[in-house]
Amino acid sequence: MSTTSAAPPAPLPIRSRRWFARRGSRVAPLKYLGLLLVAIVVLMPVYVLLVTSFKTLTEIDAAHAWSLPSSWTLDAWRQAWDELSPNMANSFKLAIPATLISVVLGSLNGFVLSKWRFPGADVVFTFLLFGMFIPYQAVMIPLTQLFDDANVPTGIPRLVFAHVVYGIPITALIFRNYYATIPDDLLEAARMDRAGMFRTYWSIILPLSAPAFVVAAIWQFTSIWNDFLFAVFLITDPVSWPVTVALNNTTGSLVTPFNLQMAAALLASLPTLLVYILLGRYFMRGLMAGALKG
Amino acid sequence: MAEIVVNELSKRYANGFEAVKGLSLEIAEGELLVLVGPSGCGKTTALRMIAGLEDITSGDLYIGGRRMNDVPEKDRDIAMVFQNYALYPHMTVAQNIGFSLKLSKRPRREVRERVRETARLLAIDSLLDRRPKQLSGGQRQRVAMGRAVVREPQVFLMDEPLSNLDAKLRVQMRGEIESLQKRLGVTTVYVTHDQVEAMTMGDRVAVLRDGLLQQVDTPTNVYDRPANLFVAGFIGSPPMNLAQAQVEQDGDGLAVALGPTKVRVPRELAAARGLATWAGKSVIVGIRPEDLHERRNGRSEGALRAEIERVEALGATLLGYFSVDVEPPPTGSAVAVVTGETLADAPLVGSTGGTMFCATFEPRTALRPGASVETTFDVERLHFFDPDTEAAVWAE
Amino acid sequence: MRGVRRWWPGLLLISPSIVLIAVFVYGLIGWNARVSATDWREANKTTNFVGLDVYRELRIDERFSLDLHHLLLFTVTFILGTLLIGGTLALLLDKGVRGEGFFRSVYLFPMAISFIASGIVWRWLMNPAPGDRASGLNVVFEKLHVGGLANQWWQGTNWGAAALAMPAVWALSGYIMALYLAGFRGVPEELREAARMDGASELRVYRHVVFPHLRPVTLAALIILGHISIKVFDLIVAIGGKQLVTEVPAVYMWVLIYDARDYAKGAAIATLLLIGISVLIVPYLIYTVRSERRA
Repeated sequence: MSTTSAAPPAPLPIRSRRWFARRGSRVAPLKYLGLLLVAIVVLMPVYVLLVTSFKTLTEIDAAHAWSLPSSWTLDAWRQAWDELSPNMANSFKLAIPATLISVVLGSLNGFVLSKWRFPGADVVFTFLLFGMFIPYQAVMIPLTQLFDDANVPTGIPRLVFAHVVYGIPITALIFRNYYATIPDDLLEAARMDRAGMFRTYWSIILPLSAPAFVVAAIWQFTSIWNDFLFAVFLITDPVSWPVTVALNNTTGSLVTPFNLQMAAALLASLPTLLVYILLGRYFMRGLMAGALKG
Repeated sequence: MAEIVVNELSKRYANGFEAVKGLSLEIAEGELLVLVGPSGCGKTTALRMIAGLEDITSGDLYIGGRRMNDVPEKDRDIAMVFQNYALYPHMTVAQNIGFSLKLSKRPRREVRERVRETARLLAIDSLLDRRPKQLSGGQRQRVAMGRAVVREPQVFLMDEPLSNLDAKLRVQMRGEIESLQKRLGVTTVYVTHDQVEAMTMGDRVAVLRDGLLQQVDTPTNVYDRPANLFVAGFIGSPPMNLAQAQVEQDGDGLAVALGPTKVRVPRELAAARGLATWAGKSVIVGIRPEDLHERRNGRSEGALRAEIERVEALGATLLGYFSVDVEPPPTGSAVAVVTGETLADAPLVGSTGGTMFCATFEPRTALRPGASVETTFDVERLHFFDPDTEAAVWAE
Repeated sequence: MRGVRRWWPGLLLISPSIVLIAVFVYGLIGWNARVSATDWREANKTTNFVGLDVYRELRIDERFSLDLHHLLLFTVTFILGTLLIGGTLALLLDKGVRGEGFFRSVYLFPMAISFIASGIVWRWLMNPAPGDRASGLNVVFEKLHVGGLANQWWQGTNWGAAALAMPAVWALSGYIMALYLAGFRGVPEELREAARMDGASELRVYRHVVFPHLRPVTLAALIILGHISIKVFDLIVAIGGKQLVTEVPAVYMWVLIYDARDYAKGAAIATLLLIGISVLIVPYLIYTVRSERRA
């Protein structure tokens, strides 16, 4: 699992920026400097990735380490594509179904845990939540064994199943905390209007769930796409490797030229990066989805 | 429409807290009964038990003669108007109102017709395609009512439906809700903490305190004959003036010694109130501000002379506050009794001592703090209360 | 009785998930623990129950001690780094700056990248080659005339693990910033205003009003970072591969299973990792869910 799966969402900052912008101070330029410096440091790896990936073989030595390419070329990219595209396809075949199933499950579970509670609902929630924090190494051996014994088809299906199961805690968390913000009297009104559980979910809760679905889907997609641990333990046949494992494999050897390494890294990260750039707002909202505030 | 009978209804929570203690009421068909009391008195809990949103710990609930304790809320044929309206945010006004009908699988044409009719009745037919967030508070309130009305239930339950509205709008809506209820003739239970709402709207008013029913009667009776100190202090604004007094033997009759003044009690009055048994005892006396007038004639019986400490000019009325040299009741003034605020009788800035009284004056009187006034009251207008039980004293 | 009629559909709906987690989390953990108490190895013909023998083996295993050393170094650097940087960023952003959204997006974007991918870049950046063949950050140091800072990074025997923490700090500082920012902004403005009216300087306002509010946030951050650190696997593999100089328990476990085929020992390490995390997480979870309910 990548960092996204490991770090639970954080609470939401409520002040609007504009409110604060009015309060200027002498400190502001210093602040900006600091923020900008850190931003540069944060973006530095991106610069390296981009710049190196477009260089020709001759330019990737120490002397030209940081300079822009004198001639931009797509060679590395083409190579990276050749090597990784089948694995990218695997990743899509993994991430999309797993994400879809995962968020639907999360929505139903979150609904029950927050709005259609039963005695011991909080205990069950804690019980589920713990599953998010365990080191997955602790279950890898028996998991493989279990899959073998149960004759689960090898390859991507095993990964999909694993991600759906281990995604239960985090999706339940996201939806539960989101649904907690829906006023209870809305559901009481539905009760008075003679709605049962499924009707309440379908007509009242589901239409209001869009933000949580987006957040959960982005979170899960990113986690699943970026996962390495599950993939490397559960998928033995290189043909079925998702792109993270393939990436690590092709670039692990020291003879792989840097431009290919960088291009491959970028290529493999493209989908999640795109999701972040286009839907980053929701990504952040997911990060701050009022979860474990501590 | 149906009558509601509540018998020894109680609600106890898991932590032992008793929100409602043995409530017994009979609400006639078509009646509008107001449950009123300070926050935490159990009125909303009682309402929710009738609705089926809360389980009944003990006691019985009958609606239309049928025992409803174990009947799920959706089968009770009750409609509820929530304090915060609880409108479905993603549905239009029409969909909000028609939701329950749709769930009852009524034909679409019927649903549309009934929704339109209800909307017309509540003057919101131009808003049918809007979403709740596009509506003002008053409009949302009407949609919430519409949702209840369209169902033509046997009972309406209303949980402080006006408390989120602007004050002026509240006054107007009060009358409209009452007219609507009279027109539809549906048995209604209305919960509020505002005693003015209770007095103006209810056919009868039920006053609750800490889960216990204090009194249930018509507004006028509750006002004129409060059953105990709490009701006396709660109903009526400004609140009733309360003080300790002595009932004394005065010749062959009785008199009430209220601080510096003493009034004789006419024989019929003494008989009607059963004051004979109180001769020589301490009693709590109450007099409403509007029953204390500035002395006109020269009669000095029942006169309270004092210096005005504060004046409130409200336009239509003029209130004057002054200290009277009497002891307040042991449980405190009306405000202290009703709110439970122990510091209600400890003025922020020290006064001249005694008990603060309030009287109404002629609206255009030039009254200033520091002015000396003499107020008088009619002994018939006095209320008497037992200092130990706080119950009103009557010959019964 | 009426109550049951209301909530049993909910219980039914969630029961498949309960069963799945019961099996795939708790069941498998138990299974794993059982494996760790055997001598199951590819080499062995039979598998016997050996109790805590494998754990005793681990205790004297020098390689495992080395791993723990690395893990400790990594953890301390990682936690200190992210808390400091994330906290400072949140502090700078607290009062709001123009382009706050831009800055937030920049600081948070590393979370979208897999550790494998970012590992590739950081491996390049932390290229240990010195002098003429210097590349990556070493070259930047030379150019900025602070050549003394150039070092062996992750290949260094003493501080290698700390160097490994750099990409982790890079990846998680944004998240800690988000946590602290929310914490800062959760302080009601009235409290700060009252303090200012009482004559407190901004510094004092922070120290006496804001920071006390942040203790729960720091606790949450410590626990979350701690648990990530114990689990860290992707990053180490991406940069150091299977090299000993960067190995941590999680990687050792992988090596044991796939190369040495020593399943019992691998399972034992996994169980130890789990215990380490549980000590952190379980009390925290219980405390959070309970206090949430009280709120």
